[in-house]
Amino acid sequence: MTPIAGGVALNLAFGFSILAVITLFLHTRNGDQRLFLTGQRLALGISFFIFLATFILAFQLIQSNFDIDYVARYTSLETPFIYKISALWAGQSGSLLFWLFILSIYTTIVILQNQRKHNSLMPWVIITLVIVQIFFLILTNYVTNPFKPTDADFIVTNGNGLNPLLQNVTMVIHPPMLYLGFVGFSVPFGFAISALINGDTSPLWIQSIRRWALVAWLFLSMGIILGGWWAYRELGWGGYWAWDPVENASFMPWLTATAFIHSIIIQEKKDMLRLWNMSLIIMTFTLCIFGTFLTRSGVMSSVHSFTASSLGPIFLTFVFLIIVVSFGMMYFRRNELKSPRKMESFTSRESGFLFNNMVFVVLCFSVFWGTLFPVISEAVRGTKITVGPPFFNQMNIPIGLILLALTGIGPLLAWRKTGRKSLIRNFTFPILTGLSTATILLFVGFRGYVVISFSLGAFVTATIGTEFARGIYARRKKFDESIIKALIRMVSKNRSRYGGYVVHIGIVFMFVGFTGQAFDDEKEFSLTVGETDHVAGYTFELIQLSEAERANHYAWISDLRVTNKEGKFVTNLHPEKRIYFHNNPDPNRRQPHSELDIYTTMNQDIYSIFSGVDSENGVAFIKIMVNPLVRWVWVGGFILVFGTMVALWPRKD
Amino acid sequence: MIDFIRDYGLILILFILPVIFALQPLFLPRIEKIHIQLDVAELKRKKLLIYRQIKELEMEYDIGNINENDFISGRATLKKEVSEVIAALKSL
Repeated sequence: MTPIAGGVALNLAFGFSILAVITLFLHTRNGDQRLFLTGQRLALGISFFIFLATFILAFQLIQSNFDIDYVARYTSLETPFIYKISALWAGQSGSLLFWLFILSIYTTIVILQNQRKHNSLMPWVIITLVIVQIFFLILTNYVTNPFKPTDADFIVTNGNGLNPLLQNVTMVIHPPMLYLGFVGFSVPFGFAISALINGDTSPLWIQSIRRWALVAWLFLSMGIILGGWWAYRELGWGGYWAWDPVENASFMPWLTATAFIHSIIIQEKKDMLRLWNMSLIIMTFTLCIFGTFLTRSGVMSSVHSFTASSLGPIFLTFVFLIIVVSFGMMYFRRNELKSPRKMESFTSRESGFLFNNMVFVVLCFSVFWGTLFPVISEAVRGTKITVGPPFFNQMNIPIGLILLALTGIGPLLAWRKTGRKSLIRNFTFPILTGLSTATILLFVGFRGYVVISFSLGAFVTATIGTEFARGIYARRKKFDESIIKALIRMVSKNRSRYGGYVVHIGIVFMFVGFTGQAFDDEKEFSLTVGETDHVAGYTFELIQLSEAERANHYAWISDLRVTNKEGKFVTNLHPEKRIYFHNNPDPNRRQPHSELDIYTTMNQDIYSIFSGVDSENGVAFIKIMVNPLVRWVWVGGFILVFGTMVALWPRKD
Repeated sequence: MIDFIRDYGLILILFILPVIFALQPLFLPRIEKIHIQLDVAELKRKKLLIYRQIKELEMEYDIGNINENDFISGRATLKKEVSEVIAALKSL
């Protein structure tokens, strides 16, 4: 398949998208079903052409067709096969095509799934999704075309190759997960816009998109966790979250989306928070586009590079249009968005959910402000003032702890109103658990946020334990079942509720892991073979320093023997110093890279970095970090994914 | 001509077939009534959702998250809603 066919497919997709919007719009005016069917099929046609274009680009990457600029920039003959595939989303134009590819998968599913459902909502849902496709088709057709030929007056025999940092299996999975999350929110957004246009703001549209929102949230969560995992295992600074603008770009929509998946429960059950839910999904989708803008426009490196790039202003215009049109429609439908019921008590589950939502939005605003402050300061005063992790930690740790507390409080509150008797009955055990934990920790000598975080973790765990126990007790009383049978039946009949509780357990695990950062220890030293050094009670001995030439890099490999205080063997670590593109005659194009080795347990990680080598004298420069409780973050991530899958699993009716 | 078809046949099929597929409904006679089928599907879905809500309400009551008065009034409201949906289904 020729690259020209890829360009033609993108052009045809653009043409089909314009026709789809026109035919579907005409259908909404005159109700002619032929126009609706044509619009649907045109939308499927757009997806087909985008699939075709994506497969053609992937094929060119695999074939190393360096006549295409994108292929020459992000792959080389030495690039391993798997990374040739992941090069599809490594650069700007490829990643925008990948955005379109995922949006087309979702659009196709939505159309096929709803052929006999939501006849009033579907035309506008498809129109909204196609308009989003049009925006990305404009970018890929006319601003940054992935099929652009190489701009060279000679035959390009080899490409630049993929950045070594991206040559990691996690990086093959992490961006697709993030994109599946980002793009996934287009579907609930489409339904929200359709509900606004139709003036039907009852819980019907919420019921249609609950699973979609959860699926998108799951992918976004997995993307964020995998991003942290990649940063921890590849970047070599010993952490997994640095409040980097790219990280924040995915975290902000995650926060509003988390608020959304909580507050739609209230609208589904009580028909409250109509306006709030509409605002949350619009904010989430806008932040997804804004996140793509932040990572792709160059605005974070400099305001000047942003204004010089053609992509940034187009993105910003699209974000502006989404906000104006969506909130404009909300204003137009303000009467229909008034919920028929009101909150009756402060001590109700509805209030708990609303308060938790507010805190999520405040946290999102804090991250938004910290992320954009350098850009704003540069634009207004000409000097870029960077806001680093201390700002984010100072602002967000207390907010995060409030959220953790609310995770425990919410399930203990009854719908409508919680009486004093119930309050005492429900809160006694969890509060006593939290207080006992705090007392023990203070007695042992811990202070500050560590005590608060662990105690709240214990409080939330007790809450969830109580909820499971109450549910099992109720079933046993009603149906006379065994504990196991009652647990299985209770979960299978209320998957979203108990799946949600499992997710909360995962969050507790993650908070335990975050708290472990308070005890991190590190040291840098140099060793020759046979020498030793000590960090955090461990002894590190350099046993061997070897060299190896591999397919796409040259490596110095250290063999470190680790023993504990008692002199007992713990593990052998093999961090490497690598030079990628080592055969390149231009030394400036050779890329050094430190490949880490980590010994990990639930208690702590021993994190080794081979930061430099003096090969003439056989000296290895090593950095060791001892990071407690990091594995709790990843285990928490697995629990979160498992809980969401439980909530998503289809139920028998 | 044969060479052209051999070289560009696949490309033509890939690009022309979607156009025919998309525009074909425009040549059909005007479709008037598929709304009834859609309405039935929508009402059945609504009925299922209300049944689920009733089950969840019973669960909330059993574990003590709502008091008896709220349970009785909530269940009565949902039962009324489901009766209306069933009546609407029967009328179609």
